[in-house]
Amino acid sequence: MTPPTIPAGLPRPEIVTEQMPKRGAAWLAIASSGDHKDVGRMYLATALAFGAFALVELLMMRVQLSIPDSTLMRPEVFDRLLSAYGVTALVLFAIPLALALMTYVVPLQIGARAVALPRLNALSYWLYLAGAVTIYLGFLWHPSEAGTTALAPLSDTTYSETFGVDFWAAGLLLVVLGFVFWAINMFTTIRNHRAPGMVGRRMPIFAWAAATVSGLLLFIGPVMIAALTMLLIDRNFDGVFFDALEGGAPSLYEHLSWIFFTGGYVAVVIAGFGIISEIFATFSRQPQFGHRTLAGSLIAFAVLGVLAWMQNMYSAPIGIGWLYFAMLMAVAAVIPIGLIYFNWIATLSGGRRESRLPMTFALGAAVVALVGLAGEWAQSVIPVGWQVANTGVAWGDTHLTLIGAGVLGGFAGLYYWFPKITGRLMGDSLGRASFAALIAGSFVMVLPIQLAGLEGMPVDVYKFFGDTGMSAYNLIGSLGALIFAAGLALTLVNAAASYNNGAETGPDPWSASTLEWFAASPPPVHNFDLIADVRSAEPLNDIRDAVRTGTTTWTPPPVGAPAPTDDAVDGSAGDEPAPVAVGVAAESEETATEASSSGSGSEPAAETESEHETGEGGASEDEPTEERAESPAEVEAAEEPTENAEAAAEAERTEAEGPGREDPASEDDSEDDDGESPVA
Amino acid sequence: MPGPRTRPLLLAAALALTAGFALPGTAAAFQLAPDSPVSPNADDAAISWWVMFVLATAIAAALIIGLLRAVRGGDQLGPRTRGTRSIQGRVGAGLALLALAVFIFGIVVTESSRQVEATGPDGLQSAQRDVELPEGSQPLQIKVSGQQWLWRYEYPDGTFSYYEMVVPVDTAVVLELRSTDVHHRWWVPALGGQFDAVPGQTNQTWFQADEVGTYDGRSTEFSGPATAAMRARVRVVEASEYEAWLEQQATDIEAAQANVAETNAETAEGDEATASAEPTEAPE
Repeated sequence: MTPPTIPAGLPRPEIVTEQMPKRGAAWLAIASSGDHKDVGRMYLATALAFGAFALVELLMMRVQLSIPDSTLMRPEVFDRLLSAYGVTALVLFAIPLALALMTYVVPLQIGARAVALPRLNALSYWLYLAGAVTIYLGFLWHPSEAGTTALAPLSDTTYSETFGVDFWAAGLLLVVLGFVFWAINMFTTIRNHRAPGMVGRRMPIFAWAAATVSGLLLFIGPVMIAALTMLLIDRNFDGVFFDALEGGAPSLYEHLSWIFFTGGYVAVVIAGFGIISEIFATFSRQPQFGHRTLAGSLIAFAVLGVLAWMQNMYSAPIGIGWLYFAMLMAVAAVIPIGLIYFNWIATLSGGRRESRLPMTFALGAAVVALVGLAGEWAQSVIPVGWQVANTGVAWGDTHLTLIGAGVLGGFAGLYYWFPKITGRLMGDSLGRASFAALIAGSFVMVLPIQLAGLEGMPVDVYKFFGDTGMSAYNLIGSLGALIFAAGLALTLVNAAASYNNGAETGPDPWSASTLEWFAASPPPVHNFDLIADVRSAEPLNDIRDAVRTGTTTWTPPPVGAPAPTDDAVDGSAGDEPAPVAVGVAAESEETATEASSSGSGSEPAAETESEHETGEGGASEDEPTEERAESPAEVEAAEEPTENAEAAAEAERTEAEGPGREDPASEDDSEDDDGESPVA
Repeated sequence: MPGPRTRPLLLAAALALTAGFALPGTAAAFQLAPDSPVSPNADDAAISWWVMFVLATAIAAALIIGLLRAVRGGDQLGPRTRGTRSIQGRVGAGLALLALAVFIFGIVVTESSRQVEATGPDGLQSAQRDVELPEGSQPLQIKVSGQQWLWRYEYPDGTFSYYEMVVPVDTAVVLELRSTDVHHRWWVPALGGQFDAVPGQTNQTWFQADEVGTYDGRSTEFSGPATAAMRARVRVVEASEYEAWLEQQATDIEAAQANVAETNAETAEGDEATASAEPTEAPE
């Protein structure tokens, strides 16, 4: 597949496909796609679906625990919900939600046309889905009852005779394997596919978070795969890894599984922090204060967080020296977390107040996650941990952290990037109602249970006794769970409803400064017609400045215009079958058969920024050979049956795909004079 | 932060929260700390809890206030803020000092909590009934064994009991935790923290109850469907009462074993060994 060599001095040829291949059904096209945006969308939809699963399980458990000595459920039923809930909430929902956003956004942020290993990326999604389905297939037979982490030897055949744990372990193993593949691809992409000039100090914090999470998953994933493999060998092939009577070590599984679950928790927090950082910078119209510190703090927190896995095992028979090591790591986590919050505050101060929906969610996420993390930090002192581990206190802190970073932070990212993914905004009033319910619900749910924990309420039990004085706490906690569930459901509904009916928006609804907003919304399959030459940590601001000062030959499409003058350069007009120009350097493995809508169409009415120019569609005027066409949408509707649906549905949009330009040098011109020195 | 429309909702949430705290306050004593401690190691836990609770709350509150103040902002864009290396270094160094202080504090309280104190004057002076020991030197050793879903206690003379442990007041009691099946976790909040009973390993903790009374505990490690029912109780009595109870318990066990043996002998001669195996192995 070596590209033909081009003699120097000659213009590079365009590859023109005369006949576009027939496409199958839309779902098949997405399912078989290696495009990171398709994979990201599938990750997103699946993660949100499992968020709903986790929510149902949480609600059922809270209903059971809303009254003392409850007999609504048999203990076995509660244990099945508990065993499913743990992995669903963290491993099937919170982590994949972060991975979904990263898969979709990070290649765009770093100015890549595709990911490095698209098939591996797609495989990671399908392994995740297959594993998740396997875990839930257990419910057809007999699901796991071995608890959230399936601690051996309880999960061994002696104490869990049915196949439930096998479904659970095999499914989780597939999911984790998928995560490892995802991490390999993401790390390679960030390492190798950055746009020219996108060096580390200019890379968005969210991309740094993605790199950190990749490294983290590459470490914790194999650890969990090892643990689950040993568990499956013990269960099915007479292994004795965790059988104390045969010389095995039950504590080995405890260590390995805690490395994974602690690392997964840390990954969710880091992803949430990455999202919050992007949103704070965007909506305060400030550069990231302390960019280098933020990136370094994310990495430091990943290292410290994983090394503190024994913070969950203070009560185990481990030498005290090891516990001190874990305590040191856990206590030291205050340094990166404190620095991150300090830099956020510095970024926000001096900023302009803009209470857009993503900002609201990001702020809520930062606050809720901080309350949870402060609680976790308090527990890192060993006697405190001895007293409150595995009680409602620890349960509450873990949930607050994951609700903050995972749910609120993940949703902040969803509200922020939804316009990029769909070209539409998510509903505002539904979003605000959802936010209020999530904030109120999470505290009303967690704080009473924490108080009950202080009086000795343990976690993971199917009932509590009426004589322990915890009835009121638990009832209020259950009511809080209902409010929380309503909030979470509202955002899910909002996303589903806005997918086709949200207010349409342009490529850059927030006037952000990172490169993903340079692409159309939704981006074409090759992401960028022009690869930007990155000169600062805020490349899109540089492009705006260059346009404003007229130092670029590249002109943006007119803002909000009905686009009669737009270039429709995909040549869809005319008598011939539509040729589609594809840039030589388009790295996408698919030929760019889609003629994705450009963002140059309707701008959001709400948008006020005047320098809203970053439409992809404004293809360069230095392509004189391209045919131009008026009213391409109509023509296309007649000529290209495979794209009828899209063209008709978005008739008012102009199909205007510029030919891919592989040469960043020409883009250089547009920004040369603007080479702002990097911030950090 | 939130727009004007969400403010009433947040207010309502805050009110609901306040009501939520007030309500159980009438039912049970409202408290922000773990169960009132009656043992030195539980005292250490309570102290470290309060220190960390105040510290963590103060840090979180300061940062949250900082965030909310910063975001309040104006309608005008301020000067672009830029980070400098030195301010990051100063903040980081401050946080590192805080972490170091907390770490040292943690080691101090942990060591204090692990230190088995000498039995007091009101305590049981000789732990083994037939062995004379120098005053206050030997803690009472009790073997605690977790099994699904019951705790079994074995006293130094071989007497045993289930669910309820009886110990003398003011006496250092060292627990040796074991498990016969899966992970369990021993926890009596008033008498110190949680400790695992792991199959194949021995774990250790201790307590010294200051006051006579009955203290409830529960297993906090998920161990199967009846985890919730796996409760424990420690009855702290005077030293003399403890010795009397121990003799009574030994007599009861002997009687029960004799009874079992007799019944077995009547029903089936050959079954005697297996039927009485469990009770007879416990002494010695």
